Amino acid sequence: MTAAAAEPGLWSEAELAKFRRMTLVWGITVLLLLPILALLGYFMRLYQSGAFSGLRAEWFYAVLTLHSLGMVGTWFVGSMAGVSYLLLKYARPSLAVSKFAYGGTLVGVVLLIACTLGGLFGTGWYFLYPLPLYAQGVWAPWATFTFFAALAILGVSWTIWTLDILRAIAQRYSLGAALGWNYVVGKPGHELPPLVLITTVSLIVSLSGLAAAVVVIALFGARALGVNVDPLLMKNLTFFFGHDLVNITMYLGVAMVYDLLPTYAGRPWNTNRVVAMAWGAVLFLVLFAFFHHLYMDFAQPTWIQKFGQICSYLLAVPAGVVSIFGTLALVYASRMRWTLASTFFFLGILGWGLGGIAAVIDSTVEVNFHFHNTLWVPAHFHTYYLMGVVLIILGFIDHAGKELSGLEEKASLSKLTTALLLIGGYGFLFMFYWGGVRSVPRRYAIYPQEVMQGTLYARVAVGFITLLLLGILLYLWETGKRCLKALG
Amino acid sequence: MFALLLFSPRRATFAQDSFGKPSAEPPNEERYVYKQIPDIPITTESGVENLSAIWREKPVLLTMVFSRCARACSPFLRSLSSSVSDAGGLGTDYRVVVLSFDPRDTVAEMEMMGRELGLGSNPDWIFGVAIPRDIRRLSTVTGFWFQWDESSSQFDHPSLVVAIDRGRLVRMLAGASVPSASLREVVQELRGKFVASYTLAGKVAFRCFEYDPNSGRYSLDWGLALMLLPGTCALLATAWVFFFRPSSRRRESLPRG
Repeated sequence: MTAAAAEPGLWSEAELAKFRRMTLVWGITVLLLLPILALLGYFMRLYQSGAFSGLRAEWFYAVLTLHSLGMVGTWFVGSMAGVSYLLLKYARPSLAVSKFAYGGTLVGVVLLIACTLGGLFGTGWYFLYPLPLYAQGVWAPWATFTFFAALAILGVSWTIWTLDILRAIAQRYSLGAALGWNYVVGKPGHELPPLVLITTVSLIVSLSGLAAAVVVIALFGARALGVNVDPLLMKNLTFFFGHDLVNITMYLGVAMVYDLLPTYAGRPWNTNRVVAMAWGAVLFLVLFAFFHHLYMDFAQPTWIQKFGQICSYLLAVPAGVVSIFGTLALVYASRMRWTLASTFFFLGILGWGLGGIAAVIDSTVEVNFHFHNTLWVPAHFHTYYLMGVVLIILGFIDHAGKELSGLEEKASLSKLTTALLLIGGYGFLFMFYWGGVRSVPRRYAIYPQEVMQGTLYARVAVGFITLLLLGILLYLWETGKRCLKALG
Repeated sequence: MFALLLFSPRRATFAQDSFGKPSAEPPNEERYVYKQIPDIPITTESGVENLSAIWREKPVLLTMVFSRCARACSPFLRSLSSSVSDAGGLGTDYRVVVLSFDPRDTVAEMEMMGRELGLGSNPDWIFGVAIPRDIRRLSTVTGFWFQWDESSSQFDHPSLVVAIDRGRLVRMLAGASVPSASLREVVQELRGKFVASYTLAGKVAFRCFEYDPNSGRYSLDWGLALMLLPGTCALLATAWVFFFRPSSRRRESLPRG
């Protein structure tokens, strides 16, 4: 058991049991949200395929907003709960703070559901300034207020949670040790688990992203009081927040793979100089790569766009290449124990890599001019999310569920689940990519005559999503049983 | 005398006409850009012709004034004339249309206004009038307004020039004068060149960059400091957690790598 391997004296058995229980609560919550949010995505592709011609398009945008923010939030908390659980071996995160974050997340989710499905708030996750303040009669002011209240509550809860995990790490490691600086300069020092290194890097970045959200919300407040705010500044801050949050979720997922995959491969995956340098570079580069979201904003000076492209390219090397190479090296010629969890970890890293390649392509200014407003964009982020970090987190929940319940998996069902998720997932993604290459615009509820091919692609995608949902249901049935048994 | 008696009451009514919502802020270009300009008939020295007849030949810079204006109109037109000379391209790339929004104005009075400014003989400066209903239509799509001020017997109105290309509003310059650099950008746009950035009229807090249309260069502004705020907060919070918060009692027990 992962938590049982905690250093002696770090935790009492009773404390460990409570923390494991809290992790299961987080895991089951994620498993409950997954099918709901996935069905919202299913609804959107159905809408684009013309299945709901009588329904107002405003519903599409409200669902888009809930689906995108809900998914990003769900996997962020899933990854945070995962690393908290795995960190129990090395540090003492606070159970009370985890519970507080859980309460805040629940309140935030309820408010998000209220403003989107109840109030038709439909700006998309990026709520680009000043769109939330210009509802054009689609949503009421209360929906805008509720949306920002949800963001504020989620932001505060997650910031406190982030600070607490950093605090726990700081109790055992100095900042230099947690960032692996002794490995970088080649001096002997404390042994540093990759989980601690990547989590430290990720959470420092996460704090900056969450702080950006606070500044954005404050400036929206200033606008409501009559101050005209620079839209370029608002877009920069919004994408700084969104880009960081999404990347951090992926990095925390990768941290879990660094920690858990060795237990299946029977080989260690230790921090070394390359790993420490790579994640040190991530700490710097991820803060500037977000500029690739603003290539269309030609009011931004050209040197910033070039800097964004360079950082985006460079970022792919340390995080992606080092981790992918590490995964392959770990698995190659090992006595790998292939279970649902380890398969998901491996496939998750693969999906992260594939999505990363598509992202790097799109982060090239010349290419972005053609792809920016097409389905290529949802294609790439669904690749590293759905087939990347989502698989990793589902793998973690399955891993934890098995450990804590003692129930073994059925190999045949695991294979069927994996096959359905792979065929359904990549088929669904392929239709996004194909749509992007064929100039089908994103964020269109209904395709106009000029890009009517998008309707056909959406119909094909619906078929693949059906397979994907079957895979998800099968996974939920099996893993959910184990988690519920472990919960008692 | 008979004519005076006949028209005086009507003229008094026109003089008190107002249109639009007065504002201390200039019209927001974002709200009007790419709007279709109504193809209204205007009366000039050469007769009645539609605006489209002018913009079909070449783009148009359109401004609205009134001949009895004792305040901003003449200085504004002088400033526009000076900037047009600086920017060049008049007659080849665009023409300027000066319309009166005051129903009392006649073509002769507008022509006289042009001559007083030294523009009357230039065929690419077109001075004219239009009927009130059409002026209102034009004002609606350009954000223009005018308010009759009884105490001064003058109209209160913004000073505004809009650039029209193929019937659509493509740019708007508002303010007491027309900066040469800004008009040069507008002319560039009318020539079909891409202008990446320009400063909008009105106060905007926390700009990331300030754009200088004279040099075409950007300088950093206070908004960029706000961009540094999240990173600074993260660094301070990290420093707080690692250097001021932790108890270091357990650190010694860590295994050596």
